[in-house]
Amino acid sequence: MLKKIVIKNYKVFRDFVLDLAPGMNVVVGDNAVGKSTLLEAVNLALTGRLNGAALAVELSPFLFNLDAARAYVQALQRGERPVPPEILIEVYFDDVVEHAHLKATNNSLREDVPGVRIRVSFNEDFREEYDAYVADPAQVTTVPAEYYKVDWLSFSGNSVTARGVPATASLIDATAIRLQHGADAYLQTIIGSNLEPNERVELSRSYRSLRETFSGIDAVAAVNEKLAGERGDISDRRLTLSIDLSQRSGWERSLVPHLDDLPFPYVGKGEQSTLKILLALNRKKVKDTHVVLIEEPENHVSFSRLNLLIDKVVQKCAGKQVLVTTHSAFILNKLGLDELVLLSPEGGHRITDLPPSTVEYFKKLPGYDTLRLVLARQAILVEGPSDELIVQRAYLDVHGKAPIRAGIDVINVRGLSAKRFLDLAVPLRRRVAVVNDNDGDPQKMAAKYADYARYEFITIHIGKGDPTTLEPQVLAANGLERMNQVLGTSYPTETALLKFMLDNKTTWALAVAESPETIIMPEYILDAVAL
Amino acid sequence: MPSPCNRVILAAAGSRKTQLIIDGALEAPGRRTLITTYTTENLAQITRRLQEVTGIVPGNISLLGWFSFLVNQAARPYQAALIGQIDYIQSLNFTGQRFHRTPREQWRRFYFDRDANLYRDGVADFACRVDDASGGAVVRRLAAMYDRIYIDELQDLVGYDLDFLDRLFQSGIEIIAVGDPRQHTLSTNNSTRNKQYRGAGLIGWLRKRQDRCTVETRAESWRCNQQICDWADAIYPTMTPTKSHNDEWTGHDGVFTIARDDVHTYVAKYRPMVLRHSRTTDTMGLPALNFGLSKGSTYDRVLIFPTKPMLAYLKNSDPARLKASDRLYVAVTRARHSVTFVVDRRDATYAMPPPDAELHSG
Repeated sequence: MLKKIVIKNYKVFRDFVLDLAPGMNVVVGDNAVGKSTLLEAVNLALTGRLNGAALAVELSPFLFNLDAARAYVQALQRGERPVPPEILIEVYFDDVVEHAHLKATNNSLREDVPGVRIRVSFNEDFREEYDAYVADPAQVTTVPAEYYKVDWLSFSGNSVTARGVPATASLIDATAIRLQHGADAYLQTIIGSNLEPNERVELSRSYRSLRETFSGIDAVAAVNEKLAGERGDISDRRLTLSIDLSQRSGWERSLVPHLDDLPFPYVGKGEQSTLKILLALNRKKVKDTHVVLIEEPENHVSFSRLNLLIDKVVQKCAGKQVLVTTHSAFILNKLGLDELVLLSPEGGHRITDLPPSTVEYFKKLPGYDTLRLVLARQAILVEGPSDELIVQRAYLDVHGKAPIRAGIDVINVRGLSAKRFLDLAVPLRRRVAVVNDNDGDPQKMAAKYADYARYEFITIHIGKGDPTTLEPQVLAANGLERMNQVLGTSYPTETALLKFMLDNKTTWALAVAESPETIIMPEYILDAVAL
Repeated sequence: MPSPCNRVILAAAGSRKTQLIIDGALEAPGRRTLITTYTTENLAQITRRLQEVTGIVPGNISLLGWFSFLVNQAARPYQAALIGQIDYIQSLNFTGQRFHRTPREQWRRFYFDRDANLYRDGVADFACRVDDASGGAVVRRLAAMYDRIYIDELQDLVGYDLDFLDRLFQSGIEIIAVGDPRQHTLSTNNSTRNKQYRGAGLIGWLRKRQDRCTVETRAESWRCNQQICDWADAIYPTMTPTKSHNDEWTGHDGVFTIARDDVHTYVAKYRPMVLRHSRTTDTMGLPALNFGLSKGSTYDRVLIFPTKPMLAYLKNSDPARLKASDRLYVAVTRARHSVTFVVDRRDATYAMPPPDAELHSG
């Protein structure tokens, strides 16, 4: 089991630490915060490979953190002699006796635990060339990766090989489906690792005998007879056609998985990624730790299929460690909000103390857009679409820009779920304003939120005075004439106008939202958008 | 924790020491076992013999040279506890030596060369100090990795090696060490530490550790015949006499001398393995092997070009005056049937007869 990840100077991560949960880890975060890079880094530390090739081959200046590279270049240009930045990715395992050979304190945290690390550092063998290169700092614009070496080590300080690492990783990147020789390399790896050694031997033996049979077929023999007769035109040697029998072209490269007789590459992308995920989860090796890294499973998958897929993932992942990145609140809710890891370039915020009933609530009602609350800088929770429109407009009137441009998300949460959202806001310490009708009893309504109001980052804004809901509140604030003017209506009495507004909630709210005219916003709404 | 399971087996030449390790390691498939020994030649031989039995070395058995073991599994893991930084140790400097007056406190210069390689004289010392500095984490980690450790050619371990061995004795790992103090022809290092326990002195060291290991003696030889055993035993009179299991009779059996003039005739007739002290020894043009390198090997007959002290010993039979008795012991105990020393001329004062009777009767 992986306990912790440390990343230094790799891509977006300059100095990153993340604790992992034993089971599911649902990694969410804004774009460019490093979700894919995190999975890539874990896979790299466990396999020594990047994009399917040894890291030493893939080494380039672009792997280094930009800030670290810049600091290095600037120091050079100031005439200093900075140490070329190092990339470090460390994976900490749980301290069990089976991993003792990987244990000791050769890690950046000096913890006495088992683990593996990949280190990309300056190679002293190139000292002379390097010194000559940096003698003219003006020509140095980036990290000179060509003078670097890659070490794959355990925390005992000794080199490790893929065989010596007790954890394997399956990186399932459904966003990029690469095709190579029929089926792609990912899939081949996953299929290959599902087969027992004897099954693999049997498969490659059968494949070889199939190829041998081919050349024995009469028609093929006749063709070869003919080709052999044309000697001299191309070469003096005998030319025949045969299937490649060399080691390089084993079944892995030639056999293509079929779904219902359809070759895998011709199956829809959604089905391809679904199948990959399920195959990876099917691995049965008992002894080694197996970490499943799934990148954005929602890609290419329709909503109904996603539901099925996530159910299967949950079912198959019992007892497995999984890292999933996602942009989908649906996936987050289904997998469990308590497994959420909110990623930042420094680390991950994991929420604890989320009431189990709330986790269950969102599992059952996964349609709620919890992720918006998680990712927003601030949120305003409102009760319905008309409230949403009015609050948006109120914000625009006060601040001169739409709330979303300030990272403030106005989320319509309907009735009971408001408190569930607040349960989520508490561990995240997310600044939230709740806008609520008083429903005729402001005190009772305030009491409903009393548990949350005690947090300084949560404010509750309840309609003041007699008007029970938004419509009478707005009408009371602006009067009959003004509202008729803004809405383009000509109701004779407030009662008639109010009836219209209550019967056409989104219509009037939309008219206000889009009107060139500004209305007077009820006080509690102004309070809410003042944050 | 003292472990009564630790065993030290002091065994005579030809007593199938290595076989004991092979058999023992293979009979316990569930145990995580390390086999270690000083020389790479011996390690390769153990590996080969394991493979002869099982095809491949079973997954539960690791084989490491003594220095690989010390550097990679003892010194490196907790280096930070002593030297305050990780990733410092590079490798082993086998041939270099520290400046002899470097104080032990200056760890960087005391233990390491300029490229951060550990000097061989300091490796075991360093390992012990790291174990102390880490609160015993070095040995605890080994105890988590291995259930049993076999050490072959125990007599090669000297200096701080013995201190580290002492820690292993008390680690909870079952230690089985096999060796022959009489065959102390090699040393892992030149440290002055524990100097009194080199060679036959090892027995004295073991005697002080009866609470943590049992010492058995295997005074039997499947290789040498009884005459050879008796002659070799006389070099170490304090040790248990060896019983031979080789009663094959070839017509030329035992220990003899031969004059230089007769050497070529003798070689033509008996085709012995020729052994010498070093390449500077005049072996009359015969291809020969150094005493030290012959350790571990078996030959039907050996012809020895003795050193001056050995020649003296042939006359006076006084082991107290014999230098490099270990080399003489190793050389003599290579042979199954006959050992013959080359002397300048026929001389009745040698303790052994010339093989003339055999030489001329054939």
